[in-house]
Amino acid sequence: MLDLALISAFAELRSMGDGRGVIARERRGIAIATVMARKGRGAALAAAVKEQFDINLPLGPHGSGSDATSFLGTGPGRWLVTHDAGRPRFVDSLAQQLDGLASVVDQSDSVGLLRLSGPALLDVLAKGVAVDLSATAFPAGSVAVTQIAHMGVTLWKVDETATIHIAAARSMAGSFLHWLEASAAVTGLVVDA
Amino acid sequence: MRIPCPYCGSRDASEFSYSGDATLTRPAPDSTDAMFDYVYLRDNPVGVHQEHWYHTAGCHAWVKVTRNVSTHEVIDAVLAHDEAES
Ligand SMILES: [Zn+2]
Repeated sequence: MLDLALISAFAELRSMGDGRGVIARERRGIAIATVMARKGRGAALAAAVKEQFDINLPLGPHGSGSDATSFLGTGPGRWLVTHDAGRPRFVDSLAQQLDGLASVVDQSDSVGLLRLSGPALLDVLAKGVAVDLSATAFPAGSVAVTQIAHMGVTLWKVDETATIHIAAARSMAGSFLHWLEASAAVTGLVVDA
Repeated sequence: MRIPCPYCGSRDASEFSYSGDATLTRPAPDSTDAMFDYVYLRDNPVGVHQEHWYHTAGCHAWVKVTRNVSTHEVIDAVLAHDEAES
């Protein structure tokens, strides 16, 4: 019989080069879902999210909430929800809480999450992201759905130091790590355990 | 060329898929001649034009872009969804 092993999307993340230009850590065990508002139910959905989570549903490309539970605007009427507080079967309960207001799809095993920081982070990301990530154009709380080396990514700034979280499709994790390692090696890429 | 997506902000044109003339209205499906013209016959305008672009690599919204096709100056961009509802 086949043994199944739980392997995280970015299990192959490795340090590269000398220095601590970019510090990377995989965010593991996070519940992730896409939420799409049903037609004409946007206001009711916002009210439900406020009542259930005390979160103001963002109407633009911004994040609301905290690392524990966040709603990230990824398009008109569309959000990426992450939950890092260990509530079991979070996505199932989210779907029930938003029943009739939104379509909820579990992405927990299809999306890998990285937390990136370090003094060279924005310079390294500029090699792949055609979006201005500077503090004035992209302050903390901003979200961008874009691409890096033709791979679709959702990235959001958590603080101005800067710390950026990146979500990429699990099927692209190997190629994404190749890009990150090649781009960050010159400044040093350190895996933060 | 960069396109100012009403949702995402300024993005490179490579993130978008071009869909064509936004000034046309889809004819009734039973009008074969009108449908043929709508699908196959294209004008080749100079100057300011309106086009539909889909933000494939971004927010997945349809954007109606007003653009000078001679200079590539982008004059306006609105969500097609919003315009259809108004
Ligand atoms: Zn967009």
